Amino acid sequence: MELWEYLRLGFAVALDPLNLFYCFLGVFIGTLIGVLPGIGPVGAMSLLLPTTFKSTPEAAIIMLAGIYYGAMYGGSTTSILVNIPGEAASVVTCLDGYQMARQGRAGPALGIAAFGSFIAGTLSIVGLMALAPPLSKIALKFGPPEYFTLMVLGLTVLIYLAHGSMIKALLMAAFGIVLGLIGLDSINARPRLTFGRLELMDGVGLVPLVMGLFGISEVLLNIEQTLRREIFETKIKGLLPTAKDWLEAKGAIARGSLLGFFLGILPGGGAVISSFLSYAVEKRLSRHPERFGKGAIEGVAGPEAANNAATGGAFIPLMTLGIPPNVVMAMLLGAFMIHGVQPGPLMMKQNPGLFWGVITSMYIGNLMLLILNLPLIGIWVQVLKVPYKILFPLILLFCLIGVYSVSNAVFDIYLMLIFGIVGYLMKKFAYEGAPLVLAFVLGPLLENNLRKSLIMSQGDFSIFLNRPLAAVSLIIALFLLISPLIPWMKRKRRIVPPEEIS
Amino acid sequence: MQNKDALSGLFWMIIGLGVCWGGLDLELGTLHDPGSGFIFFWVGIIMIGLAAAVFIKGIREKSPDTKLKAIFAQVQWKKVFFVFGALIAYALTFYHLGFVLTTIFFLLFLFKAIEPQRWSIAIGGAIVSALTAYAVFHWWLGTQLPQGILPLG
Repeated sequence: MELWEYLRLGFAVALDPLNLFYCFLGVFIGTLIGVLPGIGPVGAMSLLLPTTFKSTPEAAIIMLAGIYYGAMYGGSTTSILVNIPGEAASVVTCLDGYQMARQGRAGPALGIAAFGSFIAGTLSIVGLMALAPPLSKIALKFGPPEYFTLMVLGLTVLIYLAHGSMIKALLMAAFGIVLGLIGLDSINARPRLTFGRLELMDGVGLVPLVMGLFGISEVLLNIEQTLRREIFETKIKGLLPTAKDWLEAKGAIARGSLLGFFLGILPGGGAVISSFLSYAVEKRLSRHPERFGKGAIEGVAGPEAANNAATGGAFIPLMTLGIPPNVVMAMLLGAFMIHGVQPGPLMMKQNPGLFWGVITSMYIGNLMLLILNLPLIGIWVQVLKVPYKILFPLILLFCLIGVYSVSNAVFDIYLMLIFGIVGYLMKKFAYEGAPLVLAFVLGPLLENNLRKSLIMSQGDFSIFLNRPLAAVSLIIALFLLISPLIPWMKRKRRIVPPEEIS
Repeated sequence: MQNKDALSGLFWMIIGLGVCWGGLDLELGTLHDPGSGFIFFWVGIIMIGLAAAVFIKGIREKSPDTKLKAIFAQVQWKKVFFVFGALIAYALTFYHLGFVLTTIFFLLFLFKAIEPQRWSIAIGGAIVSALTAYAVFHWWLGTQLPQGILPLG
């Protein structure tokens, strides 16, 4: 089939009334959780995963993907209006977006964020369409050693880009692998670390883990202190950016789109990193870098374009290799598997409707988001005014229902509560949750491919060095791991953490 | 042991030891044919090494910001315990009282105990939220929520 035929198939799937409804639901909920602080896209996706059990895989993935890129849109609203990022990828938008709002330019800031996001989101989908098919063909030639080393590389990049200590991030990844391997051994069906509990035979659930680490722990942290939010009471007007705004922002949008897309593809990269890098690039390229932090429109347009483009890029490794490059994609991998679909090089052939349906739904979703975020901005401003003391009991309730409805077992609620405490303490002791969750999802795949590789090579580890792609992946991973010992690399790594920029 | 890294390093060393022991118990197999415990054992060893590095760094660290007291200084424990206690109580009573009643009590408690709302808001919010959630998840999405002592169908 030619590309346009695939596209036609994709649009036929995406424009199915039920799938359109799920797409709308996804982008709507995504915008909502992007606007509301305290629950990110990962939490929202795990919360809504059980609600997709009765739907088709297409509808489920279209909705969950919509939550992801919808959250990127919604996150900018709180950053601009309240100076509180709705989710991590919008942290950097606070810097200039909030300043623009203080100068009475909240409208153009919101407008350029939405338009920039739309343009970048659309460009990244075009990139996804162009790159996914050839990559899938190449991926068919990969064997267990390539998969194992690519996953090791993915985890290593995530660890390298961790905000804090690399050692702690590595420790979390190791713990994530252990948690991911609890349950029956996939090769000989022997129970492992189940402590005699029948509920653990199928392993620890992804939903209780994510809800505990990102949902419950976040609420516990937030109620420790009273959240103060100052919202602009003035009417937001003039959402359409002026010609001068466009002139200043167009380069930033183009660069942000490219940067975001390619960083999104890289394992461990993603929306957060690309938004920070885009901000740094724009500031460096600007003739007036002193304007940054004081309401420069490029400081809003670039990062917003980058974080949206990254969402499209992130689908490439998941859909072509079956390897999630970040935690959100790990959640999507879980969703694919629950619906009996194995993402990877064969997916495009075996499930073309699903593959192209999800991609084309993102076009439609981006259009819906533009409508949701510009004319309806007033609704989101009202949502922002809901006090946290009303919101947090409802977030907890959704966590409880979400976890219970996956397995209909109270055991999973207890598991979520344990992970809630673990997550709370992790944040207090400066350990990150992202490497843990990604390693948790990759753990079984990592082990499987390692054991297969060793069986193939009869116990000879040189199999990872004799195959070019495996060797290159391992060398890059090793380089990144020892990089903190190299002074100039250590300096470079320090540029990335958000706290350094903000 | 007042340093947060020293304490957490020690904790993860113990977990790492447990993982190693679990791996040994499951049998390591050989390199030709790795057993069920192979990866647990080696990941456990890596965890111990990394945790030891965190522990040593913590012991050497003298900054007051890294003390346990500093990271828990602002915590309003009463609120944290109330929320967590409510969550445990929810799990314990979920099957017996059923979804709707448990949820109403849970929300009512949180609306009143953490940052108290007016009774009308607390009671109204709890009942409306519980019934809406039941309607959406049980009736619309078909989630099997326990009915308990209040059969709603």
